[in-house]
Amino acid sequence: MTYNFNFSVIWRQFDVMLWGLGLGLLLAVISLAIGTVIGLVCGYAFRTNNKTLRALVWGYVEFIRNEPLLLLIFFVYFGLPAIGIRFFDKYESFVITLSIYAGAYLTEVFRAGLTSVPERYVEAAKAIGLKPWQTQLYVVLPLTFRIVLPSLSNNLISLFKDTSLATAIAIPELTFTARQINANTYRVMEAWLTASLLYLATCYLIAIALRQIEKRYSVIK
Amino acid sequence: MQRTYLGELMKAKWSLLQGFITTMEISAIVIVIGLIAGMIGGLLLVYGPKPVRLLMRLYVDVLRGIPVLVLILFSYYGLALLGVNISAYTAGVVALAGFCSAHMSETFRGAIDSIPVGQTEAAKAIGLTFQQRFVYVLLPQAARRIVPPAINTAVEMVKGTTLLSIIGVLDVLLATQQTIARNYMVIEFYATAMLFYFVLNFTLSRMGAYFERRFGFIRY
Amino acid sequence: MTDKTTKTTEAEEATTSRRNLFAGALGTAVVAGAVLGTSKTAQATVDSSKSKLQQVLSRGVLRVGTGSTNPPWHFEDDTGKLVGMDIDMARLIAKSLFDDPEKIEFVIQGSDARIPSLITDKVDVICQWMTITAGRAQQVEFTVPYYREGVGLLVMADNPKYKKFDDLLKAGDGITVGAMQNVFIEDWIHKGLPKAKVDQFDSPDSTLQALNAGRVDAYLGDQSAIRWLMNQFPGRYADSGYGWLPNSYASAVRPGDPVWLNWVNTVYREALMGVDFDTMKASYKKWFGIDVATPKVGFPSEFQ
Repeated sequence: MTYNFNFSVIWRQFDVMLWGLGLGLLLAVISLAIGTVIGLVCGYAFRTNNKTLRALVWGYVEFIRNEPLLLLIFFVYFGLPAIGIRFFDKYESFVITLSIYAGAYLTEVFRAGLTSVPERYVEAAKAIGLKPWQTQLYVVLPLTFRIVLPSLSNNLISLFKDTSLATAIAIPELTFTARQINANTYRVMEAWLTASLLYLATCYLIAIALRQIEKRYSVIK
Repeated sequence: MQRTYLGELMKAKWSLLQGFITTMEISAIVIVIGLIAGMIGGLLLVYGPKPVRLLMRLYVDVLRGIPVLVLILFSYYGLALLGVNISAYTAGVVALAGFCSAHMSETFRGAIDSIPVGQTEAAKAIGLTFQQRFVYVLLPQAARRIVPPAINTAVEMVKGTTLLSIIGVLDVLLATQQTIARNYMVIEFYATAMLFYFVLNFTLSRMGAYFERRFGFIRY
Repeated sequence: MTDKTTKTTEAEEATTSRRNLFAGALGTAVVAGAVLGTSKTAQATVDSSKSKLQQVLSRGVLRVGTGSTNPPWHFEDDTGKLVGMDIDMARLIAKSLFDDPEKIEFVIQGSDARIPSLITDKVDVICQWMTITAGRAQQVEFTVPYYREGVGLLVMADNPKYKKFDDLLKAGDGITVGAMQNVFIEDWIHKGLPKAKVDQFDSPDSTLQALNAGRVDAYLGDQSAIRWLMNQFPGRYADSGYGWLPNSYASAVRPGDPVWLNWVNTVYREALMGVDFDTMKASYKKWFGIDVATPKVGFPSEFQ
């Protein structure tokens, strides 16, 4: 089999692909931010003595982690309007879905993170007279974030890859643009190779960048 | 004429059942291939000659850095170029199995690497050959460490089968969408599909937890 | 029961159906190049005893190439029986040959197999929503058309804002049109609605769900599919009442056999305008919900 590569069509639409890449990154970062809030709240909920609350959070985590993301995306985008919830557009419904999805994974992350803050720091905070909320805000939270930093970066990379599913609800991210080029030009190999390389490069750049941040902050001796 | 959920479920039962079989079948094929290829891949990553090791590393890192959906679409449109009449089903299974193998290889590598060097040294000291060291010392310990991440990957693969609906494989998700296109019971039938995936994946993860407890995680 | 179907796998059917939503107007160029060089079989001499017509008559069964996943053209009904407009055309040929519409062997195939299966003589005739194009006509020979396809816009019947095409046109870029992902889809939509936003989905099901969920204001589809949906769900959808991008569906036969082609043509023409008009009228009503006016008696109107 011979296949003649012709990347000129790709270069002509390269800016469209880059915009798609940027859109995917943006969706991932927003979802990570919202997911972090969800994860943190649920992580704290796990530490309370309220059994109902813990059961609810456990139910949320188990349910979401066992559901395919694509099904959740369809449910929010196509399903919710059927019961009258239709005030958000395709971008918003995607971000909502991805945030809830990320939140379930991040709940686990923060639960473990909060638990692994050494007791002596909390005691030390008490000793210098910090109120409980001050202890959490100035001692526990910063430490927790340093502990979970590697997990957060892994989650960002996963979420960025997950944004490829947005193509199913007509969001013009990178996968969508690759399919467009594939369909419009029949340059199958070029379109998918370029998309794959862009994803790969971005994932590794994120990984390298975050590794630097981790090196700077995550050290607890 | 009032549509009822049960009535519509009965009407759609054959196509949903077909979707169920397809999802189970693809999941099973992909996970089994992934486990076998992952074991070989993991060994090559640790013990292979340097060029092989590098090639494997490249394979594993490249496949893990590309979204599964892109792999599936690439495989679907790319294999068609070969001129062979390759169905969406085959193209999808190839992509998912390739992805699963990469993850499993990394899992196996991690498991083998995490066994303390002392174990191998001790085994060497009592004169075991490589084969014996592998079968009697490394494998039993690695197997225990592999269960949790392997189950995680398996759950991810079951979830990943839904992406094949995008290239037209009639799995549970696509069968559900077709049903919804006929009766507009959007919430009911998406909920049915969610229940299916939950039961399947929850069972899988519980099985993992059971094996983990049963065979214990040896801590050092 | 002489119906025999050669089945492809479920997955393959699903993909072929999805690749061929607009089987009509595209793909021609791709297929055209694929099987060239086969039309040299065209023979100058006409020996009616060697015609396909005689072969089929003595075989006692007609082999028809068609699909099984595209209502209202060729699909399986609730009982698993193959039905649709294309199937009706095939039955009409069988009835005219053997006085028995059941003497058919259906060969189920994807749209890309239509020309190859004729060339390799796997089937006697294609009844599979085949669009007449000049390129294809160099490889196979087309009968007279039995349907004129085009695209149209489906809207929700209870949508207060957009009921008719003019409402959609006036809305400019304020509306979103949903369609299945396709090479020319933006151009197609913009030929009708120059400013409308376009959302592309993976499957007809997703597109229809988007319309139902109010995610898009209109659904671009083949006119036949639009009418089929309106028939299936009375009162739910409405046709915006404008169609564009015409193309003609016909059957095709292997080239170089004028006797067979002419015979099939005769059957079709008389179904469209003559003795078998009632069956054609019934089929149009059943599959498209269209009432066709009975041809005027007197001067043959097709030559006026």
